[in-house]
Amino acid sequence: MFKKTTLHLFFIFWVFVPSFFYGQIEYLKGQNIKNGEELFKANCTSCHLLGDEKKARLIGPGLNVEIFEEYTEEWLISWVKNSSAVIESGDEQAIAIFEEYNQSVMTAFPTFSDDDVRDILAYIETPPIEEVQEVVVSSDSESESNTLSSQTLVYIIVALLVVLMFTGFLKNSLKRASNIDETFLEGLKKWIVSNVAIIVIVIIFGVLSFLVWGWQELSKIGIRQNYKPKQPIEFSHKIHAGEQGIDCNYCHSSARKSKHAGIPSANVCMNCHANIIEGTHTGTKEIAKIYEAVGYDVDTRTYKQDYEEKPIQWVRVHDLPDLSYFNHSQHVVAGKIECQECHGPVEEMDVVYQQEKLTMGWCINCHRDTKIDLNNPYYHDYNDWVEKHKKADLTVENIGGLECGKCHY
Amino acid sequence: MKTGKKYFKSPYIKGNENYLHNEFSEKLPLDSFIDEQKTNDNNTSRRDFLKFLGFSTAAAVLSSCEAPVRKSIPYLNKPEEIIPGVANYYASTYFQENVFANILVKTREGRPISVSTNKEFEKNINCVGGLNSRGYASVLSLYDSNRLKFPLKNNKEISWSNLDNEIITSLNQLLKTNKKITFLTSTIISPTFQEIISKFSEKYKNFEVVYFDPISKSGILEANKECFGEAFIPTYRFDKAKVIVSFEADFLGNWLDSSHGKQYAKGRNPGKNMSKHYQFESLLSLTGSNADKRVPLNPDQQFNYMLYIFGKLQASKNLIQISNQNHKLILDQICQELVENKGASLIVSGSSDVKNQLVVNAINYLLDNYSTTIDYNRKSNLYSSINSDFENFIEDVTNNKVGAIIINDLNIVYNYPSFKDQLKNIDLKISFSESLDETASLMDFVCAKSHYLESWGDANPYTGVYTLQQPTINPIFNTRESETNLLRWMNISQGFFNYLKSSFSKQALDKSWNKTLHDGYCFQNFEEKDYIFSSSVAKEIINNYSSELKSSIEDTFLILYSKTSMGEGKQSNNPWLQELPDPISKVTWDNYLTISPFYAKKLGLKNWHVANGGLNGDIVNLTNGNKVLQVPIYIQPGQHDNTFGLAFGYGKEKGGKVANGVGVNAFEFFKDLQFVQKNGFSIEKIKGIEHEFACTQNSHTMMGRSIVKETTLKEYLKNPKSGNKDFKLESYKGKVSPNELSLYEEHEPAVHFWNMSIDLNKCNGCGACVIACHAENNVPVVGKEEVRKNRDMHWLRIDRYYSSDMNKDLANEQGIGAIEMYKLMEEPSSSENLEVVFQPVMCQHCNNAPCENVCPVAATTHSKEGLNQMTYNRCIGTRYCLNNCPYKVRRFNWFNYKDNDNFDYNMNDDLGKMVLNPDVTVRARGVMEKCSMCIQNIQKTKLDAKKEGRKVRDGEVNCACETACDTGAIVFGDALDTNSRISKEKKHPRTYALLEELNTQPSVFYKTKVRNKQKIS
Repeated sequence: MFKKTTLHLFFIFWVFVPSFFYGQIEYLKGQNIKNGEELFKANCTSCHLLGDEKKARLIGPGLNVEIFEEYTEEWLISWVKNSSAVIESGDEQAIAIFEEYNQSVMTAFPTFSDDDVRDILAYIETPPIEEVQEVVVSSDSESESNTLSSQTLVYIIVALLVVLMFTGFLKNSLKRASNIDETFLEGLKKWIVSNVAIIVIVIIFGVLSFLVWGWQELSKIGIRQNYKPKQPIEFSHKIHAGEQGIDCNYCHSSARKSKHAGIPSANVCMNCHANIIEGTHTGTKEIAKIYEAVGYDVDTRTYKQDYEEKPIQWVRVHDLPDLSYFNHSQHVVAGKIECQECHGPVEEMDVVYQQEKLTMGWCINCHRDTKIDLNNPYYHDYNDWVEKHKKADLTVENIGGLECGKCHY
Repeated sequence: MKTGKKYFKSPYIKGNENYLHNEFSEKLPLDSFIDEQKTNDNNTSRRDFLKFLGFSTAAAVLSSCEAPVRKSIPYLNKPEEIIPGVANYYASTYFQENVFANILVKTREGRPISVSTNKEFEKNINCVGGLNSRGYASVLSLYDSNRLKFPLKNNKEISWSNLDNEIITSLNQLLKTNKKITFLTSTIISPTFQEIISKFSEKYKNFEVVYFDPISKSGILEANKECFGEAFIPTYRFDKAKVIVSFEADFLGNWLDSSHGKQYAKGRNPGKNMSKHYQFESLLSLTGSNADKRVPLNPDQQFNYMLYIFGKLQASKNLIQISNQNHKLILDQICQELVENKGASLIVSGSSDVKNQLVVNAINYLLDNYSTTIDYNRKSNLYSSINSDFENFIEDVTNNKVGAIIINDLNIVYNYPSFKDQLKNIDLKISFSESLDETASLMDFVCAKSHYLESWGDANPYTGVYTLQQPTINPIFNTRESETNLLRWMNISQGFFNYLKSSFSKQALDKSWNKTLHDGYCFQNFEEKDYIFSSSVAKEIINNYSSELKSSIEDTFLILYSKTSMGEGKQSNNPWLQELPDPISKVTWDNYLTISPFYAKKLGLKNWHVANGGLNGDIVNLTNGNKVLQVPIYIQPGQHDNTFGLAFGYGKEKGGKVANGVGVNAFEFFKDLQFVQKNGFSIEKIKGIEHEFACTQNSHTMMGRSIVKETTLKEYLKNPKSGNKDFKLESYKGKVSPNELSLYEEHEPAVHFWNMSIDLNKCNGCGACVIACHAENNVPVVGKEEVRKNRDMHWLRIDRYYSSDMNKDLANEQGIGAIEMYKLMEEPSSSENLEVVFQPVMCQHCNNAPCENVCPVAATTHSKEGLNQMTYNRCIGTRYCLNNCPYKVRRFNWFNYKDNDNFDYNMNDDLGKMVLNPDVTVRARGVMEKCSMCIQNIQKTKLDAKKEGRKVRDGEVNCACETACDTGAIVFGDALDTNSRISKEKKHPRTYALLEELNTQPSVFYKTKVRNKQKIS
């Protein structure tokens, strides 16, 4: 339930509205904008923003429809594929832009086909307009308060019993107030003898509530929800993933290929920070730590020779025990789950913390609810089995998602 | 309730009431364990001590509640091809102990974790085979802490540059004298290495190369030289042979080439074309165990029998007399079958004696087998040492003619012990060695050699085949390849890699460098020519060998053999191999004198079981001249009466912590480099001492049960279900199959149903699968003591059963009582009639699993894909499951094998831990474990398919054992996929479930063994 809540809370819907430019540029007609979007987010967002050329300036210029007025199709394609070749060819436009941006070289993308570049251009031509940033307020808050009330109920009962005990005691002592010979202790003793039932009930409740409390406290051991360690570099996901909109996969590239999402190696940082030497929040202080690690001389913009590199020792936030096998690519590619579902709104975190419990129960609950993607040709040969289980209801549980051997081997 | 009364323990305390308030007043007896000075100013009372104890315990408990801070340290500059968590595979070449294989090396984050056969290569060419058990274990030898870490001079560290300079100076000085510089090496199949050697001999004029393989095939080379004028070893094609007659050649084990097992299995599909295999041998070998008809025979008689066949095929009138009428009938039948299958038969001999090989050659020639089952154009280059060359070299050394010796990849002092005394005759002694072994420790210079997984190289194992070897890890220590040493000493500054690349371009190959490196192999064209069998040799055989070898019944033969696990002992420091049971005797961590039951009785020698189930044996003094060895005896059923066997590869003194002191060195008895030592040795029982064996199987026979189902080809052709009668239980409904009486609901598989089939006709029991399983699943090594207590951890074992002459019908007939009958049933058949079967047994993944029902914590459960899963972190170690498992395949972790100094094997060693597969949990003490059907591979393959949006292909999911099985006995796959190999196997009439009367409904099933035998006599 909690999972669902966060899903709804932080899932941001981007609505694509075709811009009024649509159809104006002939060679971009019929291009696959979705592919362009994926490529743009994975490769371009680290240096380019969408928007006005000067305003949205990052490392490279901001990109919008104006580029189509200024540059031809061939020029754009050859520039994207290998910009330095264009500069070397003596192209005036190319040299101009190269000079304007402090002679920083744009990464070459020789693996792109011409069509890929056109897809990206098409995406730039019709950028998504952030129309609604819909935040769905949890509809499950009721159930959350339910869990709370069950706890308070125990407290209320205990309080009531104390009151009951106290009034009973008051009543008895008033009754025997006339008898002066009796000492306080003797009176108490008499009261206890005459009220055994209440005492027993109180003791039982006392013990039970202690056990409940103990159980709850003990089961918190090893759970590091909200764990927010200080990192060696004050890296802000809010700036990179949130404000700059860099795709998670750009840095955590192995999340789609491997069981590890992978902490980016410093050379990935240097793709941008070879040029961005000053940050908006911490100035040069934090970025300099990367240079310290890899041996980069900011003044000459070169790597130092024979430098003894110093690996960056990040502190692990999301740490599953070794006995459980978790595969990122399984969830990201096969399961098509957004990173935020398990990691929370990372793009809003200045310092990353563990949003979810990461307990086995939490995993299992999701496996119970998540439907499997029957459109995947993987399942096409098993139609009989699918039919038998009423197509719509098939969840990860049905393919063994709750079995021990899926994660523990 | 204060009464004021006091009670005293004794009258002495009365009046000294302080006692009551100072109960713990006496000081702790710390003096005994803390040094005196410290205790003098120490006033710790017992109470203080307890306080500290309590506090520290509480602190430890509290601090353990807080999870430790864990660091994640990424690459600074990530290599493009490495994705953390994803394995990379590289094609390379394995060549050790004359076994060649083209391999795939699996690396994780830059370290090799397992090797396997390159199946693409195998598909392309018939004469090559895959890795054997030693090959699969070789990856562990990379992480052997016993390896040399730097070059040595007089056993002290020296830098490479100093070493190079000093050696060059000494070699140049030697040039001025007349003394030879000898390069003593095991066979080199690398053309580039050979090129470097020939260049070296140009620079150093008095240079000579002597090849020496400890277990050579000199006999075959020399015989071929006499017959065809060229010393070569042809490639054999057991798959094309309909009739195979082998004299002592253990071709499924260690005879010539690892391909023979695969080829042999191709001909063993039951049907009209099934091959027929006769084996004449003295010891019980792996090959003999698989034969259709095995005849125990001493080496002299073997020669006589060969001559009989030769004479009979020539229709000679002057035939050798065969006294044993049974054998005569067998031989006559063989001759008849050989003639019927001219050109499709094969006679091989494992003898190191040239005259045996000459007769075998002559028979093969008579039968037109050359160019059909024996290919003399595609030659094998795996053996090039000729005994006489080595003997000449020894003579040179004795005569002080050798000034310098460079030993490459050989432990000559171990393999040829008498050489140790002759080393003093040599001025400069250099060795290229991976460890400081018996030889290296006596050298002036030791050039630390890289492991093959760290080295570049190439190979030309067979005519027309070229393969590349590439490093899969940077050298872990300061070591280098042998080739680099020679290049440096010739002052060639070019690195070996560049040299190799330029040498590659000179060869006429069908692929580019990059393509070859990627695939691991390429092919060359070669000329074919016909060899003429020398007629003079044929005549000589007829004339000289027409009289039989006279052997008396008193003759004894000591036969030196090699085990599939140990070979010549190069990897004896590899704990996986030490713990791999011998396929026949099932003994681990030992070599021993195998002795026939007949001779054991004669000498009063015994093997017996002690109370804990362990096997003990008598120890004898094996004496040959002035050499005496104390060897335990092992009584081997099926062995020829007057023969004794002793395995090579054991008895190391400087082999490393694993190898040292295990067994005895059989090379001490390797006189004249002959495997057979006739007479001249004596055996004497030593009274009062006994040897403790570590044996993984203590029973001999199946005790009349049909665990391995067997039939003959004749029966099988009549009825494919012969020998595999469906089991029926008596019930109130009449006779029904067990699954109709099940109490349990059936599991319904979802999407996949993983099944495994094991063809008992193809499994020859070699044990490669066991090692592959070790490497894949982080199976710990437990050592001899624990194996002896039946605590071995093999997830996969290969059971060996001997046939028995007793059965229930016979007992009824002869009126033998039940107890006596069962006693006789455990007795293996007599040597003549003995048959052996092998059966690999791993977790059967029962769908009615007896283990699952008894687990109190549900640590072992059934998956929707038909797997019986084991959850280690849930297991509390009651071992109920183990007790309830009818197949006894579950293994219990009695100790924390990975972190316990008593188990000083690879898992307790930082270097050895590098071989662990990161996808498989390393189990802790107190949990149960067993075969998981390599669930990590199943999960990975399923995920790959899902990510790529396709179905799982048949044959894509592999278990380690299946990949390792070169004969194709093991088939694994999804039984819900109607087109898969496994669903076809499942319906096969030969398929049966082990112990099906228990209705456990295993996911593993076996295929009946079919022997191609007819009634003889």
